[in-house]
Amino acid sequence: MFGTLQNYLSGIQRSWSAADGDSLASFISLKDKHIMNRNLYVESPENIVERILDPPIDEIVSAHLKVLYYLGMEKRDFMQAYRQQSQCIQSVVKMLQQLKDENWCLPIMYTTCLDLRILAQKCEELGSSSKPGEILEKAADCLMSCFRVCAADNRSSDDDTKRLGMLNLVNQLFKVYFRINKLHLCKPLIRAIDSSTFKDSFPLPEQITYKYFVGRKAMFDSDYKSADEFLSFALRNCPRNFPRNKRLILIYLVPVKMLLGYLPKKQNLERFDLLQFHELAVALKEGNVRKFDEVIQRHEIFFIKCGIYLLVEKLKFIVYRNLFKRVYNIKQTHQLDLSAFQAALQFVGETDMSIDETHCIVANLIFEGKIKGYISYSHNKLVVSKQNPFPPLNTVS
Amino acid sequence: MSNNIKGTCEQFCPEAESKLRIKEKLLHYYELKNGERTVPGLLVKAFARSAAGVKAPRTKDLRTERCLQKTVEYLLKDIVLDKRRPYNFVYDFVFDRLRAVRQEIVMQRYDEKQTLKLLEPMVMFLAYSRYRLCEEQIDNFDPKICNQHLQECLKRALCCYDEIDVQSLNLNELNRRSFLEAIYLLFNLGTSEALNRALGLPSEVSKSEVFASAFQIAIHYHQGNFYRVLVGIQKLPHILSAIASLNLQKLRSKVYLVFAHAYNSKQLMVPTSFLSRLLLYEEVADLLADCKYYNIKICDDNKNIQFMKSDFNTNIAVMKEKHECFVDKKFEKVYLPEILLLKRL
Repeated sequence: MFGTLQNYLSGIQRSWSAADGDSLASFISLKDKHIMNRNLYVESPENIVERILDPPIDEIVSAHLKVLYYLGMEKRDFMQAYRQQSQCIQSVVKMLQQLKDENWCLPIMYTTCLDLRILAQKCEELGSSSKPGEILEKAADCLMSCFRVCAADNRSSDDDTKRLGMLNLVNQLFKVYFRINKLHLCKPLIRAIDSSTFKDSFPLPEQITYKYFVGRKAMFDSDYKSADEFLSFALRNCPRNFPRNKRLILIYLVPVKMLLGYLPKKQNLERFDLLQFHELAVALKEGNVRKFDEVIQRHEIFFIKCGIYLLVEKLKFIVYRNLFKRVYNIKQTHQLDLSAFQAALQFVGETDMSIDETHCIVANLIFEGKIKGYISYSHNKLVVSKQNPFPPLNTVS
Repeated sequence: MSNNIKGTCEQFCPEAESKLRIKEKLLHYYELKNGERTVPGLLVKAFARSAAGVKAPRTKDLRTERCLQKTVEYLLKDIVLDKRRPYNFVYDFVFDRLRAVRQEIVMQRYDEKQTLKLLEPMVMFLAYSRYRLCEEQIDNFDPKICNQHLQECLKRALCCYDEIDVQSLNLNELNRRSFLEAIYLLFNLGTSEALNRALGLPSEVSKSEVFASAFQIAIHYHQGNFYRVLVGIQKLPHILSAIASLNLQKLRSKVYLVFAHAYNSKQLMVPTSFLSRLLLYEEVADLLADCKYYNIKICDDNKNIQFMKSDFNTNIAVMKEKHECFVDKKFEKVYLPEILLLKRL
């Protein structure tokens, strides 16, 4: 690999004639070891590249070499490298359009798109843009131009269609949109994938990533059932040797599950360094409002950073429900005085709880099906059903 | 237009437009001398779409920053206080003239601080008017358009805030920001967008008293604790209370629905005193009227309500917003221009 520029280019030429997408992809990947080769850092490689390579791969390689040049400079210029990488993508788009009815070139697109996103992220971190998110947004436009070519390729046969490359791009785009907080832009992408005939034949790793993001999206849209389904799929299929990814999935799956009435096991959380949720689960189970609020406050930054703060706040009514269930267990009667609930709430930290609010909370729990029964205002009593007055939460829709 | 074009006009209305409109008798009621139908008074530049074929504005057609400031002050003080005609009339005029100001902000490419100075009062005006005119007929006031403009102005203001380092704000500017952030949150109550923005705000803003109280309401709304929402809305200051109260009808209908399930019984009753206290009704008659609307049974003595799951009409639309006594009382105590111009919050 550490040969001359000439060697490198003839290597590319050979793979090009053999239509070997994977090896071409590694020739222009920023993760490949050829990038250490200083012979390849050329500021204006166009002439020599054009002499050896045919269009349309020549433009792609030229742009790639320029990226290497800017990254190899004494003072790394990420912004210029990023610009060249977007140039590279434009050439990739051209290539995709020219190679009709063939899809062996998709790996080239995957690699260049991945590198573009990573470079854009790097530029954002360095604060190179005037507005945060601006560069990533531009990068997303670039990725979209590839996506459009792939999505529109509906004339070639199922084996040769570029539509098979859609999911990879969608995942890249998700990563950008989640980072810049533009979740509404995900919707058309999700529609494109869900209506695709290849929905289930995309590679499994891509499907896992996809499900992870649509799960998070469903969570933001308060569609917890779907979020549970998607995230569970991701967790089930994520291989053992990716604990970091498993942890990422769990950060969202655990609170969603808690909301649906499942409590996490301590040892599982421990394994993934997510004991915050254990503390939360303990408070939840006890119906201890004070403790619950305290845990949220203590881990506020973690919850906000992960984007699950609002979700855990939503667990509050389950805390109330569990507290009321304990009151019921102690009293052992079907006619429960609401002032007993009020006293319990005050005892666990809701010191300013009024009887009016107690009524409202109980009413809400009945409405949601978390308590079976009715309230008698004049007697100030909750009359619960003789059977199963506090149905398990996972049975409540 | 590479260079910033800078206005030089010191009049509320540029001379060319004044001449034209006086000649063509295109003067608004508030631009005529008091009591006389033909004598021009003080003109204010009207809004005109920038369209193809219209000449690029000359510097003398655009107002200076100081003049724009004065224009806004004139509109939100002299005109808003003008009691000769109903408020929807005032609104139409001020809305249009402020829109022209907004257009000039864009034309002259004002920076964030300049923009905010002019934009903040517009937000206040639109928010106030949205409440003040919420009972009007559709021909007099279109709440949808008002919502749109309010949202647009708010978002523009929020973008400006994001560009300015919060550390560099003085106390007054910080208060203004907190107030507008609170308006945005309450105007968009229940949307995760607004809540997520709130979570990401710098602590200088999120810790401010006015914003914190709005945030508490939004969180309680998110959790479904309508009791705390209702209590919170009453405690908010004037315009925030007004904007938040626009959600009241929706909240009330939700509470009726919840209660229809929770107090569901053929025999048992719920006293109106409890409901009107909880749902912020000044008059029991209003409560009864609303119950009737949702087909909830009222007992003969008018003192009790009988909730039945099966009775409740879930297909009926939520009632139109109305003026709330506790909000109106807050406005009685303040001098409106001072609020609209954010001199005192």
